[in-house]
Amino acid sequence: MQLRLAALALLLSGALPSPAQHGLTPAERQWNIDSFEMVWQTVRDKHWDPKLGGLDWQAIHDELLPKVEKAATLDEARAVMSGMLDRLKQTHFGIVPGEAYQEMGSSTADDDSGPRDGSPGMDTRVIDGHVLVTSVEPDSPAAAGGVKAGWEILRIGGKDLAPALAKIRDSLSSQLTLLDLLQAAAVTYRLSGQVGKSVEVQFLDGRDQKVSVKLARARPRGQLAQFGNLPPMHFWVESRTVKPNIGYVRFNLFFEPEALVAAFQQAVTACRACDGFIIDLRGNPGGIGGLATGVAGWFTEKQGQRLGSMFLRGATMKFAVFPRADPFLGPLAILVDGCSASTSEVFAGGLQDLGRARIIGTRTAGAALPSVFTRLPNGDGFQYAIANYISEGGQPLEGFGVTPDQEVKLTRRQLLEGRDPALDAAVSWIEKQHK
Amino acid sequence: MNRSLLRANVVIGTALLAAIAAPRLVAADLPKAETILDKYIEVTGGKAAYQKLHSQVQSGIFEMAAAGIKGAVTSYRAEPDLVYTEIVLEGIGKITDGTDGKVAWANSAMQGPHIKEGAERAQAMQAARFNGELHWREVYKTAETTGIEAVDGKDCYKVVLTPAEGSAVTHFYDKDSGLLAKVSLISQTPMGEMAADSFASDYRKEGDILLPHKVRQSVAGQEFVITIDTVKLNPEIPKDRFDLPDEIKALVNKK
Repeated sequence: MQLRLAALALLLSGALPSPAQHGLTPAERQWNIDSFEMVWQTVRDKHWDPKLGGLDWQAIHDELLPKVEKAATLDEARAVMSGMLDRLKQTHFGIVPGEAYQEMGSSTADDDSGPRDGSPGMDTRVIDGHVLVTSVEPDSPAAAGGVKAGWEILRIGGKDLAPALAKIRDSLSSQLTLLDLLQAAAVTYRLSGQVGKSVEVQFLDGRDQKVSVKLARARPRGQLAQFGNLPPMHFWVESRTVKPNIGYVRFNLFFEPEALVAAFQQAVTACRACDGFIIDLRGNPGGIGGLATGVAGWFTEKQGQRLGSMFLRGATMKFAVFPRADPFLGPLAILVDGCSASTSEVFAGGLQDLGRARIIGTRTAGAALPSVFTRLPNGDGFQYAIANYISEGGQPLEGFGVTPDQEVKLTRRQLLEGRDPALDAAVSWIEKQHK
Repeated sequence: MNRSLLRANVVIGTALLAAIAAPRLVAADLPKAETILDKYIEVTGGKAAYQKLHSQVQSGIFEMAAAGIKGAVTSYRAEPDLVYTEIVLEGIGKITDGTDGKVAWANSAMQGPHIKEGAERAQAMQAARFNGELHWREVYKTAETTGIEAVDGKDCYKVVLTPAEGSAVTHFYDKDSGLLAKVSLISQTPMGEMAADSFASDYRKEGDILLPHKVRQSVAGQEFVITIDTVKLNPEIPKDRFDLPDEIKALVNKK
């Protein structure tokens, strides 16, 4: 199985040295050369296609190494490395400037120490450049502080968010599908901190008034789950019926297989006579790849179906779906947004290709590969993919994402009115299937 | 861990794609495959010792160190071809696999229940044959020594076993000790055909039989290690141990 939480991996990175734009010291020059070698060797040794699409990788090395050696600034050295990766003509191979890399994973300046095990309890999205609260968890510090869905976050810990978000946007000029995911993650990271410690957040409330609220950080929702070498993460799953005969399941990660599958089993069993089913993957960054097929098995009875195929170095892994004995076969809608990534995309894209589900929301993150972020000796970030994934319809998800069958965007006004337009659209579509 | 279990665990471990060293040029007079296979029986306890064996339970640790995944593995086996293997991994849960002699199956919370068909079933049933070491003539239609190749620095006879149904399996027997050092096969899985290499080591005696207590497997670039710490020979195994799980029964009934 592959665990694919690219954005998360990015956020878990440590602090990085500041970029050097002055003339390089001998040490900085050597860091750039070491970084170049690390990037080149990583691609040579870990790319899923050992032939690299026919490129003469050694010749490219020999051509570009002198340029890195002569680079007068970090920008110049970075441009050489980026240019080398551009020769692959593939997404998710890139150099992330150390400055932006740090923005994606930095917190408030005055509160950056200690464990990051607490959160105020609200979900956010960056929509048209504005950081909006999309939901507030009941009984959370945010709820106690009176925060409402639709409020805009202007500052966290006394710092404007806009410049940091702009840096992320600028650094992703060639991978814009990732923008929503990384900007939202950057906001989440700034809001997080040690349980018990507070963070000052300035909002624009529902009446367009600036309001500052000091929010405590509490343990996030859900149970702490551990998988392999990854740090523990909180996992939750909820299920209910909506309107009044449609099943609904939402979960924050493809994690904890037994708990997740038990929740689906219970939801599907309780929903035999339901008009339809909605799986809400908005904000779900993925998790254990194999779970996409395991969950899909609750919604098909056809044998031999696949969500797609993953091409590893020398092996192809088909994402085969094993139908459960008593699946739900009625209309199925899947809600997604720009923060649905990785396994969420494999699941949604695969069921879309199989004609089994209607996808509603906004385009997903296009981060379906098991890509890895690592830190280079010069302080920059280096992203590379170790496999290629092609959805069952023959399309890559990486860099493209899942395009919804029905695009439904969120607006601040709708959030302030307490509406959930994507969920409403799914309900409406399911109801139409029975007319 | 006997040879069949070694293969069964490969199937659970799924795909592998490991580079295999190029075979050496071979001396003209290689021993016949049946001689090598018979020697394996002899050096691991002898035909009589195997014939006294009717069931077996092995338990130990399954580990993917690179991914930080670890758990307990227990395998129940009985004549003629009954298998139930359970791996409980932290963060993943229970993964089971087995056959009641008719239906070969696999189940996990992660992927759901699955009945093996075709080549996948054939491979599972070959691996399920109890004391397969003794009965290789029933399982494979041909056995041929094709060369000598080093495994972990030791020269091994390379024996290609071809079953009546499915793809060939290659065994590597230590030229000096006669012990099985490696098994290479193309694992048949619903996720596709995947090359798998298993390396057996730490042979120790259990009763009258010499068994490997460590198996390192390489599948799709991932490495697993199974370390066996307990082996019970001819234990009382509950009758229903090999019954199909409810989820599998439901699928069978639906057919």
